[in-house]
Amino acid sequence: MVGALGSEVVVAAPATGAMQLLWLIPALPLAVAGVNLFAGRKLGKGAGWLAVLAVLSSFGLAVASVLQLASLPGDARLFIQHGFDWFAVGNFTVAVDLRLDTLSATMILVVTGIGLLIHLYAVGYMEGDPRYGRFFAYLNLFVFFMLMLVLAENYLLLYLGWEGVGLCSYLLIGFWFEKTENANAAKKAFVTTRIGDTAMLIGLALIVAKFGTLDYAAVFGAAGSVLTKGTATTIALLLFAGAVGKSAQIPLHVWLPDAMAGPTPVSALIHAATMVTAGVYLVIRSSVIFEISGTALVVVTVIGLATLLFAGLCAIGQDDIKRVLAYSTISQLGYMFVAAGLRAYTAALFMLVAHAFYKALMFLGAGSVMHGMHEETDMKKMGGLIRRMPVTGWTFVIGALALAGLPPLAGFFAKDQILEIANQTGRQWVYVLGTLGAIISALYIGRLIFLTFFGRARTEEAEHAHESPWVMTIPLLALSLGAAFLGVLVQRSPEGPFSIWAESAVGTPPAGEFGLPVAALSTIAAAISVLTLAATWAIYASGRIDWMALRVRLAPIQRLFANGWYVDDYYSTILVAPGKAAAAFTASVVDAKIIDGAMNGIGVGTRRLASVGRKLQTGYVRTYAAAIFLGGVGILVYLGFRI
Amino acid sequence: MRTPIAYFLILSSILFALGTVGVLIRRNALLIFMSVELQLNAVNLTLIAFSRMHNDLNGQVLAFFSMVVAAAEVVVGLAIIVSVYRRRQTVDVDAARDLRW
Repeated sequence: MVGALGSEVVVAAPATGAMQLLWLIPALPLAVAGVNLFAGRKLGKGAGWLAVLAVLSSFGLAVASVLQLASLPGDARLFIQHGFDWFAVGNFTVAVDLRLDTLSATMILVVTGIGLLIHLYAVGYMEGDPRYGRFFAYLNLFVFFMLMLVLAENYLLLYLGWEGVGLCSYLLIGFWFEKTENANAAKKAFVTTRIGDTAMLIGLALIVAKFGTLDYAAVFGAAGSVLTKGTATTIALLLFAGAVGKSAQIPLHVWLPDAMAGPTPVSALIHAATMVTAGVYLVIRSSVIFEISGTALVVVTVIGLATLLFAGLCAIGQDDIKRVLAYSTISQLGYMFVAAGLRAYTAALFMLVAHAFYKALMFLGAGSVMHGMHEETDMKKMGGLIRRMPVTGWTFVIGALALAGLPPLAGFFAKDQILEIANQTGRQWVYVLGTLGAIISALYIGRLIFLTFFGRARTEEAEHAHESPWVMTIPLLALSLGAAFLGVLVQRSPEGPFSIWAESAVGTPPAGEFGLPVAALSTIAAAISVLTLAATWAIYASGRIDWMALRVRLAPIQRLFANGWYVDDYYSTILVAPGKAAAAFTASVVDAKIIDGAMNGIGVGTRRLASVGRKLQTGYVRTYAAAIFLGGVGILVYLGFRI
Repeated sequence: MRTPIAYFLILSSILFALGTVGVLIRRNALLIFMSVELQLNAVNLTLIAFSRMHNDLNGQVLAFFSMVVAAAEVVVGLAIIVSVYRRRQTVDVDAARDLRW
């Protein structure tokens, strides 16, 4: 099967109504980012509301455009808006064109919709911060770049957004740069993702070499005839390397847990709901190339599975509430890549949307907990918080149960469909490992909610925690509705309304007749999540098991998980230490000895020569006169001999 | 009968040699200056001699130019010598050797 884009004939929809304003969707946040960057200090509290207004307007326009897109017949759901020509080199031109199809439509709804709620929350969360205006400037700038990334009609514009969101991620992780760890975390995130981005750039160069263009329509249209299997594999893997960096998959996952140094709204928006899913978007968008390769799809699945299990285990060992969620995000992104690798793009996209809801919800909930606990993030010092902060607590529980895959919440349908497709298309190893991942997910998230919100309060702060203001709880309530009902409403099976909506851009999910019946698979999935959650309740909240003692007994494993399997340590031994040694070598040997040596050598040489040559300058007039005279004689003699 | 050109050239050479030796061995700036004038006039003599030989007035015109330039040069040169004298109370060129290593 070739993806839907492969056989696509570009029929642009009539450019009328809301679609004509498509360019405004990214332009508004950009404009407000500019205003807040330069005048944010003067605006004071108004900076936050202005930013909310910008994203609200973008969201409104996005909804209007998507409604118009949805009103078109299924195979005509494509609209390309030509902005302007960016640059041209010979025959190679790049235009700033925006593409609205059902894939990018879904993405802009997630980015602006969830972005709006997070902006609203941030108005309350960031109150009193000395760099309030700048925070919202960065946040809006991020929204702009993210929208460019998903709306781009060619790879270069996507890459512009891709690097832009990386920059905003860097700026926002290091937003409180006064603390060295925060600045280091920002640097680590930037450098680690650059590794993937560089590979991706090489991939884009290869596309230019093969196709002479970066436009999606042209590339995907010609891919079948231009690419051999080997070339397709190379390009797909290079693009996937970019996705691995951005979406924090093994082996470039190390930056995401540290990125939690940023303010919590940033973790929710960038490091859970939107930016980290850009890698999944890229794979879905480039599915034509991945499918020609075949091998690349297997790599995607394997990396996804490995990350899913690895990060899940790490999440179990974390004590910091935000780090649990960070590893959980890495793990859930693994599911999305597994789905994409199985060619179940609609399932991957639905997982992306559902995850955006419940993970943003939980990050914001964690921020609310920190807000009420004087910035405490250690779960060991919490407990019983649901009595003190009921809105935060219950919405968080909804998010957690969605992640654990409890029916009928969104996460259940999202995860179940991926496993179902794995089972039915005969990839039992994916199904078994994916189910294992589901057990691990339920385990760490059960541990998190029972340690944080249930049981008895373990510290004075937990005893006196307070609920957050309404600007922070309203987004929680809104997101919890999505986390709860999204699945029931739009995607109860892999052939649900969401798939039908998305298939004009990403194709239909593969059907298979292997494996167990659907009902049995759903029952297994539901039973697993219920049983695992019950087990975590028994350990952490029933009071019958001393979990601290258990933790001490399992200390080596606990430490292994808590330190993320020591991957950071391996990297610092294998990569960072030699890197620093090489830098020290170039600084003290190459630079100091060779380069400076050459420079100093020229200086010393000139001085030596001069110390001999200056003896000629005696200061006696007659020496000079004699020199002139002898010179004159010399010239005459020479001329005389020449004649 | 015309005086052969060789006589003029020999006289001119003698004058030029005298001037050169004067420039090279004298220490008094004024005397060096006079020696330079001697050299210039030796050259002027040559110019005029050749002018006569070729019946071409250009040589004599050039000699005039040379004299004018020499006069201008004397003005500048004497001014320098005067200011050197004011500063050092001497016109010995060996005393004025600050511009060296």
